[in-house]
Amino acid sequence: METLGYLMDGFGVALQPHNLMFALLGAFLGTLIGALPGLGPANGVAILIPLAFSLGLAPETALIMLTSVYAGAMYGGRISSILLNIPGDEPAMMTCLDGYPMAQKGKAAEALAISAIASFIGSLVATVGLILLAPLLAKFALTFGPAEYFALFLLAFATLGGITGKNPIKTVVAACIGLMIATVGIDNTGVQRYTFGVLELFEGVDFIIAIVGLFAISELMFFIEERAGGGKEKMKVNKLTLTWREIREILPSSLRGGVLGFIAGVLPGAGASLGSFIGYTLEKKVVGKKGYFGKGDPRGVAGPEAGNNGASSGALVPMLTLGVPGSGTTAVLLALLISLNITPGPLMFTQNADIVWGVIAALLIGNFLLLILNIPLVGIFVKLLSVPPMFLLPIVTMIAFVGIYSISNTTFDLYFMVAFGVGGYILRKLEIPLVPVILGLLLGPEMEKNLRHAMDISDGDWMILWDSGLAIGLWVFAGLGLILPYIIGPLLRRRMQNPIEEGTPGSD
Amino acid sequence: MTFNDRIFGVLMIVLAVAYGWGATQFPEPFGGAEAVGPDTFPKLLAVVLIISSLYMIVRPDPDHAWPWSRTGIELIIAVVVLILYAMLLQPLGFIISTTLAVGTLCWRMGSRPANAYITGAVSGVVVYFLFSFALDLALPLGLLSFLEVN
Repeated sequence: METLGYLMDGFGVALQPHNLMFALLGAFLGTLIGALPGLGPANGVAILIPLAFSLGLAPETALIMLTSVYAGAMYGGRISSILLNIPGDEPAMMTCLDGYPMAQKGKAAEALAISAIASFIGSLVATVGLILLAPLLAKFALTFGPAEYFALFLLAFATLGGITGKNPIKTVVAACIGLMIATVGIDNTGVQRYTFGVLELFEGVDFIIAIVGLFAISELMFFIEERAGGGKEKMKVNKLTLTWREIREILPSSLRGGVLGFIAGVLPGAGASLGSFIGYTLEKKVVGKKGYFGKGDPRGVAGPEAGNNGASSGALVPMLTLGVPGSGTTAVLLALLISLNITPGPLMFTQNADIVWGVIAALLIGNFLLLILNIPLVGIFVKLLSVPPMFLLPIVTMIAFVGIYSISNTTFDLYFMVAFGVGGYILRKLEIPLVPVILGLLLGPEMEKNLRHAMDISDGDWMILWDSGLAIGLWVFAGLGLILPYIIGPLLRRRMQNPIEEGTPGSD
Repeated sequence: MTFNDRIFGVLMIVLAVAYGWGATQFPEPFGGAEAVGPDTFPKLLAVVLIISSLYMIVRPDPDHAWPWSRTGIELIIAVVVLILYAMLLQPLGFIISTTLAVGTLCWRMGSRPANAYITGAVSGVVVYFLFSFALDLALPLGLLSFLEVN
């Protein structure tokens, strides 16, 4: 068992006191980020990246902290779903269906505790899956040549919108914009491209600035537009009375949800939203008539919540092994890896084994920390939920300013960030997704490098790009990723809408 | 109404043409032309963007209304505040500029002015001290630099 040895080394890294401390800090901040309105996981992780730099953290420590933030954000998203019927992030949508009715029946504390336990089990199942699957996939990925990588990147873009995505062509437009921005700067043959002689552009556009601008600033603008500064009513949480029998009852649901979520997370184009959706519908089928789904059945909280967390751990598999993230938040984690000068992909498992396994171990430890944090401290998170966004968002914006300013101590970067924010706002208004823009920024240089390598090998023959069976397979899947949303997308979206409308009595 | 996507599509085509034309102007890299030069990838992108923008023009999605009138003005105020914040961060110093920027944003988002500027001042001071003492990072003091202790 080679893997077990590596994992033990990983625990050695993750259990060092200062790493453990940052994991705890990350888990706490992550839950906050997930719970607070207007701070999605991708946004939150993005704002923390420059801060992790300016702290001068070691690469593994920075990664451990931000992975904990990532795991924590998934926990936090459920709090507002259950208490307010407002999903903190998209995958938490399904948790509303039974979580909110439970809270209305005066069982908010139970719903929160059950969802914490289910989240824990889902993540645990998926992390075990990650430990088993990632090394295998990394070994397989070593057989990829530049042509296969080029096709793989295309696949990543094509499936980013997910099969439930609305308009795949907008994903393509967004990806092009990102890739174009990535070509700014001096390329590796020494030619200046699109720098217009501006010194600050010679090294290209810093994607951290772009990410923080696109997410944080555009979020502020959306809140201003929707005049949503007022905040939400205060919520009371009853005293927790959870028996072992109730916990035992949700265990099978959580396990099933976790496995399904993991699979949905690994597969390109599925993602956490679909994971929690499948988790919920499967529970409804398995339990059948005995259940009272939509009216506050604990299993209806456990299934999707485990699925959602399973998917978020599963999404780390393609990110770590292939260097190709499948979601917004994993794209932001990829940004962190690249800025730490770690080349993501199969080689990371051999060259930076301590970091990879440290992060995986941190994910396991982080989950235990989150469970411990979440059950007694839920009261604090609930209180923070009622902080009105009109105070919160300006402060978050200020922290984004501080973070970006601390990277280079120049105001040029700040103007750039604001510009990206305005651009992000316009794109979001047009329903052009931001994640492909970011992925384009991140993967652009690698993609071009692989194209060049492939062409050098073939001496300029474009046929090399679909010369191997593997490459053809990737092209086919990329094509499917763009075409399927037109065919089965509307159908799936309708089915995801239906249980929501049936399942939330009195939600309006 | 389906103007947004169409206008955006046209803009993107203009961008793509300019970008693709820019790629043809690159000087030849030192050491002679290769199979894939610095211009190949940009040209590829320009073509893909033109095709997908054309699709957006032909099959646009329904529009989302743009916020004109008061909300639009609020948005412009917010962007101006952010630009001024970036501009004044160094001359005024972090604490004062943060008080003004965060305060104004809170106020425009619906808080009472007094509460807003208190929030701004408190958050500015807290973050400043957190950064300079706990994290050892220098944020500019600006006008308040006479308070500096060495």
